[in-house]
Amino acid sequence: MDKKQSGLKKLLAVRGMGQVITVGIGFVILYIAFGIMNPVFFSGKNVANLLRQIAPIVLIGVGQSYVLITGNIDLSIGSVVGMSCMISATLMTKGMNPWAAVCVTIICCLVVGIINGLLVAECKLPPFIATLGTMTIARGIAQIVNNNYNTDSIGDGAKAFRDFFYYGKMGPLYNTVIIALILWLVFNFVLSKTRTGRHIYAIGSNIEAAKLSGVNVVSTTVKVYLVSAFCACVVGLITCATSGMGTMDAGNSYEMYAVAASVIGGVSTLGGQGILLGTVIGAAIWGVLQNGLQFAGAPVAIRNIVIGVIVVVSVLLDVIVRSGKFSKKKG
Amino acid sequence: MQDEYIVELSHIMKSFPGVKALDDVSFHLKSGEVMALLGENGAGKSTLMKILSGVYTRDEGTIRIFGEEIHEMNPQKAQELGVAIIHQELNMCQHLTVAENMFLGREKVKGMVLSQREMNEEARAMLGRLNINMDPTTIVGDMSVSKQQMVEIAKALSTNARVLIMDEPTSALTSKEIDDLFVIIRKLKSEGCGIVYISHRLEELKHIVDRVTIMRDGHYITEMEFDENRMDTIIAHMVGREIKEKFPRISCPKGKKIFEVRNLNAGRMVRDVSLELYEGEIVGIAGLMGAGRTETTRAIFGVDPKESGQILLDGQEVTIRCAADAIKAGIVLAPEDRKKDGLCTKLSIRDNIALPNLDILCNALGVVNRKKEAIMTNQAVESLKIKLPNAEVDAGSLSGGNQQKVVVGKWLARNSRVVIFDEPTRGIDVAAKVEIYNLMNQLKKEGIGVLFVSSEMPEVMGISDRIIVMCDGRVTGEIMAEDATQDQILKFATQFESKIGAAD
Ligand SMILES: Nc1ncnc2c1ncn2[C@@H]1O[C@H](COP(=O)(O)OP(=O)(O)OP(=O)(O)O)[C@@H](O)[C@H]1O
Ligand SMILES: [Mg+2]
Repeated sequence: MDKKQSGLKKLLAVRGMGQVITVGIGFVILYIAFGIMNPVFFSGKNVANLLRQIAPIVLIGVGQSYVLITGNIDLSIGSVVGMSCMISATLMTKGMNPWAAVCVTIICCLVVGIINGLLVAECKLPPFIATLGTMTIARGIAQIVNNNYNTDSIGDGAKAFRDFFYYGKMGPLYNTVIIALILWLVFNFVLSKTRTGRHIYAIGSNIEAAKLSGVNVVSTTVKVYLVSAFCACVVGLITCATSGMGTMDAGNSYEMYAVAASVIGGVSTLGGQGILLGTVIGAAIWGVLQNGLQFAGAPVAIRNIVIGVIVVVSVLLDVIVRSGKFSKKKG
Repeated sequence: MQDEYIVELSHIMKSFPGVKALDDVSFHLKSGEVMALLGENGAGKSTLMKILSGVYTRDEGTIRIFGEEIHEMNPQKAQELGVAIIHQELNMCQHLTVAENMFLGREKVKGMVLSQREMNEEARAMLGRLNINMDPTTIVGDMSVSKQQMVEIAKALSTNARVLIMDEPTSALTSKEIDDLFVIIRKLKSEGCGIVYISHRLEELKHIVDRVTIMRDGHYITEMEFDENRMDTIIAHMVGREIKEKFPRISCPKGKKIFEVRNLNAGRMVRDVSLELYEGEIVGIAGLMGAGRTETTRAIFGVDPKESGQILLDGQEVTIRCAADAIKAGIVLAPEDRKKDGLCTKLSIRDNIALPNLDILCNALGVVNRKKEAIMTNQAVESLKIKLPNAEVDAGSLSGGNQQKVVVGKWLARNSRVVIFDEPTRGIDVAAKVEIYNLMNQLKKEGIGVLFVSSEMPEVMGISDRIIVMCDGRVTGEIMAEDATQDQILKFATQFESKIGAAD
């Protein structure tokens, strides 16, 4: 009994694990509930599809979580997804080698990340405003690259590209899922085990203290926005591979999905708190709700309302739990 | 070597928008000595030390550390040179652990990976050396302010600094922790470190200080050997005039009962607290840190929920559910943590003073009367002698002590019945302390009830007429000031429940 408790204590001592466990339980309940309503939900095929639906949300969620943990926000994510989708598709329809197109796309997206980071950390613009600006600009770029039209099909030459990002499978898992998994592992490692990760938490927790301790706030903030832009870029490439063409409004309002996944998973919008495991569960809840409600025949409007309510309730729960803890500490 | 300066600052100039914070200041520190840096609030002590530690860049002047002239200074460079600073305000990342905070900015890594265990071990060893009993994996935000301050000290020491700057390290510490700190300081001194010690608690100096440097209004005044018997000279240098009475006291006839708290319960730290307040008296609440004094004031003021108890004003029961109820009834609180609870640091001083008084300042339509507002601000600034460039600057840019004056100042513009001061003189210079005492005396003379929480024994004994002592959330004793001795107060302040049980 005693040993068990100390094991649990150890697990709970991991930063932010408490809330992750709570939402994890919520996820399981939700999943089982939908499964009972419609057994098809448990089928291997649906699980594979579900995972493939969740993967992009995990990716943008990871990027947004990085930014949120530093106490900032990135609203440009959705537009960067669109930009990535349009740039890569346009280049490929113009006959560029798909992998070269991918490289160019990544570079373009990273430039947005750098600009975001510099505007926020160096020019000290409020992140909401700075990224609102780049969000509009990036969407504009997405529209302009192909003269305000969606692109034609990226063609047969891009089959390898489409397989790599979407259609291919390794064992039972789709490539999309594997890409998300690998990137999640890398970014989770960076955030929890490296110096940069520590600095990210420190900045979100108390930027003044971080500065006075010799943390390079500008470079760390830029790195964080780079991660966010990179994740959005990959999602844009996945979108392009999925539909086989560039759509100008790809990734519309993804920045909000990213915030939702992060926040449901326990990342605090005030910074300093949260782990990427939570973001995965947050994204999973999001995906299961979408998928499950669809199975249950709920229209899009209802899905939106339910997800909105879930976001508010999960944050509310967190606030209640935390304030309870606070008063206990005081009392 | 012993007599060579390890730090030489000469002709340092520094201006902020609207203020010349440092004007031709020089400062010298030898190895193996404790140098006290003294001066009023806003004299520029913290600014000078921030320049030495690379937080601010100087406008002019030279910095020499260990004989080497330093042109560009920044926090990392300072750390490499062995200069560490404990800032006046706590600078902790609340979400990180003790060890993570201690190693922030200079984490130990193996390849790319943080060696968490190694850092925890080293932190544990450091804390052990300092006689601090705490687990390095505790989250800092869950600890008391005094513990956090000890972490701050441990953090500075863990850099193996040769020059250690302490900017008011003791203002948030308990007396036992202060004693521990002094032991550490003496040890560092014997190891040849140079220590700069800034404090407004002048009675501390005799325990550790060798020399003093005195500043006033951004100017260097003098440097001298510390001599306990010449305290008056030191104070005169600091404030530019002599202070005759450190604790001015006026006597008024005790009038009728104004305020009464009956059997107040609120959480674990406020248990069955009853107290009375009469016209023409100042009641001090003494006790150790964590005795529940702040919690009591917060419960009375309605910020924390009450479980039971009555509050009576002029014999009538008043219901206080939130701070606005208290203010309306005429009970106001000048809280302890000025940065967190007392001020909107990003608003101007005028806005801060006007904020709780908007009901007086607005006309029927809710439009603020600018003229009245300006008059009110000016009155507060003048009566408290707040040192500021103008009333439009951010309250956060003032020196610590002046911020505190703004906190007190905003309540004085109202006609209140009861004013509660929680540690009103923390971080305030001698002269300003006297001004705040005078102010309390003035309130007392006007028949306003003054309740006054303080951890500084001489102050409680010097200013209050009656002293209530709390321990562990309960009132453990009440003494008239003229009969009070330090020992007696301390006895009440350490009367924990278990001990009472054992004595019976
Ligand atoms: N960041 C800042 N921006 C503008 N003015 C500042 C800033 N920091 C300090 N000042 C001003 O510089 C002067 C010196 O302030 P400083 O904090 O050095 O005083 P201090 O001697 O440390 O006082 P205290 O004992 O109250 O801490 C003050 O007039 C203050 O208002
Ligand atoms: Mg200061």
